Amino acid sequence: MSPHYLEIFVIGLALTLLMADAFFPAREKRVIAWIGASGLAIVFGLLFVVDPAALPPDTIAPYYSADPHALFFKGLALIATIFVLLLGCDFMPVLRRGINGADNDRKGGVAESFILPLFACAGMMWMASATDLIFLFLSLELVTISFYVLVASMRRQVGSLEAGVKYLLLGALSTGMLVYGITWVFGATGMTKMSQLAVAVPGMTDNIAALTFGSMLVLAALAFKVGLFPFHSWIPDVYQGAPTPVTAFLAVASKAAAVLVLARFLDPFLNNPEIAAKLIPVLGVISGATLLFGNLGALGQYNFKRLMAYSSIAHAGFLLLGILGRDFTLVSFYLGAYVCMTLAAFFAISIVRRSVGRDDLSAFNGLARRNPALAFTLVVSAASLAGVPLTAGFIGKFGVLMGAVNAGYWPLVAVAVPAAAVGFYYYFKIVRHMFWEKPDDLEPLPVGRLSTTALALLTAGTLVLGFYPRLLERAIQDAPIVPIPAATANTADTP
Amino acid sequence: MDSILFYLFALVMIAFGFGVVMNRNPVTSAMCLVGCFLGVAALFIMLDAFFIGVVQIAVYAGAVIVLFVFILMLLDIAGEKRREFPIHAIAIGLIVAVIVGGQIAMVAGSLDDVGGKFPPIDKAAAVEARVERGNNPDSTINTILTDPKKPSYPDVHIIGEALFTRYPLHLQIVAVLLTVGAVGVVVLSKKRLE
Repeated sequence: MSPHYLEIFVIGLALTLLMADAFFPAREKRVIAWIGASGLAIVFGLLFVVDPAALPPDTIAPYYSADPHALFFKGLALIATIFVLLLGCDFMPVLRRGINGADNDRKGGVAESFILPLFACAGMMWMASATDLIFLFLSLELVTISFYVLVASMRRQVGSLEAGVKYLLLGALSTGMLVYGITWVFGATGMTKMSQLAVAVPGMTDNIAALTFGSMLVLAALAFKVGLFPFHSWIPDVYQGAPTPVTAFLAVASKAAAVLVLARFLDPFLNNPEIAAKLIPVLGVISGATLLFGNLGALGQYNFKRLMAYSSIAHAGFLLLGILGRDFTLVSFYLGAYVCMTLAAFFAISIVRRSVGRDDLSAFNGLARRNPALAFTLVVSAASLAGVPLTAGFIGKFGVLMGAVNAGYWPLVAVAVPAAAVGFYYYFKIVRHMFWEKPDDLEPLPVGRLSTTALALLTAGTLVLGFYPRLLERAIQDAPIVPIPAATANTADTP
Repeated sequence: MDSILFYLFALVMIAFGFGVVMNRNPVTSAMCLVGCFLGVAALFIMLDAFFIGVVQIAVYAGAVIVLFVFILMLLDIAGEKRREFPIHAIAIGLIVAVIVGGQIAMVAGSLDDVGGKFPPIDKAAAVEARVERGNNPDSTINTILTDPKKPSYPDVHIIGEALFTRYPLHLQIVAVLLTVGAVGVVVLSKKRLE
């Protein structure tokens, strides 16, 4: 089976559910999330049977690659979306209160919260495969536009609306920079296909300024999506205002797809010594500044979602460090670990938010007594996010740091290690609230069966990957980050 | 002549662009946007991209602006109140604008082919290349290209051909994107059911 059927299947699923919701208004919207999640699980299974050689050579293969990196990130996007749908199921009472028209008992409204993530998921799968700049732009826009709607969907809460407007305005700016950058790259080379750029750019000596300018603009646009330093300012407000499942989706899946795209795009430019001489210092400064801003900014936070926002900025700094180290398998592992631990944290937030009604850190006071199991999962997740040994997060951070050491970026390592140490303080602030702070009430906090299963899976993933990283490493194959077909088709653009 | 026209239209665009930002009345701003789009269309036409130029006018200067004005009417926005911006905000904005503008000017100045004009497209060679790629020699595009009585390019046909033969995947994604846009509008504009 050709890999491009995967996305077609996801889009088909999304459209079917959209129609089903319109014509057979189910009394229980949970059904939609369930069908969506099981459909995505089937697509995840299909990932293992697709045959990359079966891509239609003329219409698809020039723009779409199914290399090991693409398949790995498709898997990440699918897993993240499945968990986000389940999280949405659990979060439904809060969604109902926030979405216009969804409040009077089961009459509609929330279905789109489960269907739009499917479209975004297809977009992220396309992003993972995009080896053509135009194709990349379109898939990125599909993801972004789905997110604009999702972020603002709880319109009756001012926070969500404010987050939506901020995300829309800054997102539009970054889109503009992306297109402008692509234009400069196309103007200097006459190419939009990454496989052609990977061959041509490393040896180019003409128009270096234009190429550098174009690559910096695209870097700026993608830095916005990943949440890197000068373009990180939207993250805390948007993460805090958006509905929790959407925040989790933004933090995990959107970031992962953008990181792969960033690595893919930058690779040819980093292979050109003249451009790399300008690009690497910039990337180094961005990475170091992101690490500092993320970790120091998180110190003073008292809202859990805002804390996670700063934490996600800090992790973006580590991811860029991994890209600079030029060993993308380390970045892939880091992201695999990041997906597990971050999703677990967001599940915990959503459970507490639902029953306590707030997502401040003080809402977690005494959680260890109210629900010891939930407190344990949150401890594991926080430990992994901080990078305590024997958790997945430690292996990820250690790998990325070693990669940077091997590549000789000592000043960056000197910034990254203290930054990671600072991380221990604010992640363990969560633990302190759960174990040592006096709770307002001591009622046991119930957790649904669905959340219990999901949390158990994610926590197990975090721990198992910490003890036995080979499990994930086997899925990550070392392949060139920009796949170059054996015979690059001659497609000169003559009319 | 071409370059004079280019600078003329570019200036017109910049002037109208300023008009969009500076005007207090949103309808005037929208009308300035029309002027801006017309300038873009003129630039496209100067590049022999007639179809895109016409689409620019029909879609942007026509449909999009009508939509804008409709929304402005529905919302009944009066002239925006004059806002005092803090001096440091203006200063930072100016500095960023000057840096970016200077950067673009420097990069554009460093381009190697500045001043050199592209040679006109060799239609016979183009047809030959197309036939070599397995294109039917009697296809509409080829006949128009070889017809000496038609001086321009069959750009509508070429765009159509490219979209539906070389970029079908891109076209499908645009379709999905528009669907998501439509769904999104419905989700966000939904009223509270009573």
